[in-house]
Amino acid sequence: MALPKIQCVCGFGCGSSLMLRMAIDDVLKKNGLEADTLVGDVGTCLSNPCDVIFISRDLAERIADRAEMPVVIIENFMDNAEIEEKVLAYLNEFNK
Amino acid sequence: MEELVKKDNIKVGLEASDWKEAIKLAGEPLIASGDIKKQYIDDMIRSVEELGPYIVLTKGFALAHSAPCPAVIRSSVSLITLKEAVNFGSSNDPVNVVMCLACVDKVSHIETLQKIARVLMRKGSIERLAESKTVEELYQRINNAEEV
Repeated sequence: MALPKIQCVCGFGCGSSLMLRMAIDDVLKKNGLEADTLVGDVGTCLSNPCDVIFISRDLAERIADRAEMPVVIIENFMDNAEIEEKVLAYLNEFNK
Repeated sequence: MEELVKKDNIKVGLEASDWKEAIKLAGEPLIASGDIKKQYIDDMIRSVEELGPYIVLTKGFALAHSAPCPAVIRSSVSLITLKEAVNFGSSNDPVNVVMCLACVDKVSHIETLQKIARVLMRKGSIERLAESKTVEELYQRINNAEEV
């Protein structure tokens, strides 16, 4: 089965999205799960192939109405508990 | 201890009247060191105006940055604390710790940023950074992952 592809998005794909990807990679490792993670910027993320986008609330509204994939909003990029809950919830859906 | 943020790039207890001034103050050490040109500060401010306050990543903390561009001479990071917190219009307001990130490309700074993120993600770390009374104290807290 193909691994889920998780795109972490921020304004330019070089700051907070990197932090988010790291946090998601930590969650995956901790839970013994596998997924491909990548970073993207809000301007081009919709043309990057992926199964889901993780993004901050402020940026989500810029893509929500055009996104063909699920968009998961992260309120607090430093909150490992929130990130873990949302990653696990998404992967549960994905694996159904 | 590996130095993630240079002492010269750290300031504590600065006074900013609003979020724009906070970003400007955070960028100033990098102008002084020649790591960025003034244009980059304008870019960081414009990014928030265009994209919203998403740079406020967690309660009290903003990661000011813009895209890699010619106004960035060397990838660099600065960190300031504010005497009075300012609002960015984010759900994570008010902000009293601002980090300025400048990168020459999208990959060369990843390792440093990830190490910084590890420090920031510890519970209560933003509060501890904000409470730092001196540059030395803040320098120790951001650079010494063990202590934070």
